[in-house]
Amino acid sequence: MQTEKSEPLRSGAADTRGKHRISAELKRLEQETRHLEEELDQLEKMESASVACKEILNNVGTRPDPLLPKTIGPANPSWDQWFEGPQDKSGCRCWIL
Amino acid sequence: MQRSEMSSVAELKERHMAATETLTSLRQRLRERRLQLLDTDVATYARAQGKSPVSFGPTDLVCCRILQGHTGKVYSLDWTPEKNRIVSASQDGRLIVWNALTSQKTHAIKLPCAWVMTCAFSPTGQSVACGGLDSMCSIFNLSTPLEKDGNLPVSRTLSGHKGYVSTCQYVPDDDTHLITGSGDQACVLWDITTGLRTSVFGGEFQSGKTADVLSVSINGSNSRMFVSGSCDATARLWDTRVASRAVRTFYGHEGDVNSVKFFPDGNRFGTGSDDGTCRLFDIRTGHQLQVYSPQQQLQNGGNNNPNPDVTSIAFSISGRLLFASYSNGDCFVWDTLLAEVVLNLGTLQNSHESRVSCLGLAADGSALCTGSWDTSLKIWAFGGHRTVI
Repeated sequence: MQTEKSEPLRSGAADTRGKHRISAELKRLEQETRHLEEELDQLEKMESASVACKEILNNVGTRPDPLLPKTIGPANPSWDQWFEGPQDKSGCRCWIL
Repeated sequence: MQRSEMSSVAELKERHMAATETLTSLRQRLRERRLQLLDTDVATYARAQGKSPVSFGPTDLVCCRILQGHTGKVYSLDWTPEKNRIVSASQDGRLIVWNALTSQKTHAIKLPCAWVMTCAFSPTGQSVACGGLDSMCSIFNLSTPLEKDGNLPVSRTLSGHKGYVSTCQYVPDDDTHLITGSGDQACVLWDITTGLRTSVFGGEFQSGKTADVLSVSINGSNSRMFVSGSCDATARLWDTRVASRAVRTFYGHEGDVNSVKFFPDGNRFGTGSDDGTCRLFDIRTGHQLQVYSPQQQLQNGGNNNPNPDVTSIAFSISGRLLFASYSNGDCFVWDTLLAEVVLNLGTLQNSHESRVSCLGLAADGSALCTGSWDTSLKIWAFGGHRTVI
């Protein structure tokens, strides 16, 4: 970069840095714009939320869950391991016998 | 300065302004298009399908173990993938390894840095990892002989983060890799055998925003995908093969995302935030499928904070239940499908006396462990009459 002989060199260097910084920021913004444009294209063909909701309902119903009062099987005998056998004396005593 | 140089800077500034406007308007169009696609949410859909909420009797979910031993607040816990062992991290500067079934402690590890925030069990159960304000992740091999002072030595130190390590998780089926999240805004995939970073995700300077990573969750169905939750109110989905940019960013929360957890089917994930809500997001479409907001639900009568922070979340093994702990001591059990609170562990007999800071589900789904600022951990299981269809 050319500077007038009467200008202090320091402001010239600062301007170069400023230019590079803005340039880098600009590149980042342009990259982000391209990505968001891609996302907008995807959204044109994207399925609605109800499709995902239907999947969730199906998936949740197909897995046995030991913490539910009513669950699909098969039950695993280890589910009740917390209520069997001798306990350490510091254990809680509030479980149902 | 030459006039031509001044105009090129001015030109750049103009282009920068134009680019910012384009970006802003693009974001707006994306928001509008997304709203059009949100034709329903999970609860509305489930109700329309005739689903009835999960109904717990008063003694169905009970506290069946109390793990006492820490002398400071419990901050983090993790179960082994097999067998019922738990590692916990506390303000007292220790990790404790517990046999959850017998309540016995198998290891009490005094940490080189007392300011620990997170801990994790390796998939084989042979090692534990922890991280905190020292910006490092320390690995302990549990079968290493103790040193003369009775301490378990650190077997590997993972250093490289430029901020606190808030969260860590081992890659499933792989004792040699783990993922950390940090206050330096990055997540890192580490190779433990070499101690080197395999990949760094995020972490570039995000102008004007703090984006500390507070939580990560690796997809149990596809361990190449993980989600991170951040102070910038977003969650991000990452592919470990593509470190340069998140696969997708999820907006919606209005406060720090303190906790993220993959849904059991691997195609959704849940979040918990300082805005007091939990949310469910779909990874393929990016849709926000459900908001779990306590405003309409029963709250712990003694605490008047209208919008307590969500501190931690976990799903039951089917995904039907979402466990969420709050800064006011509540620990809600949400019916995930109907978005209703079906139980509050915070008001049951033997509930914690203080905030629950961390939650975790046993590998077989048969128990939930809660860790609290009251220094204890509690195990909750179903002790009522179970109907198996």
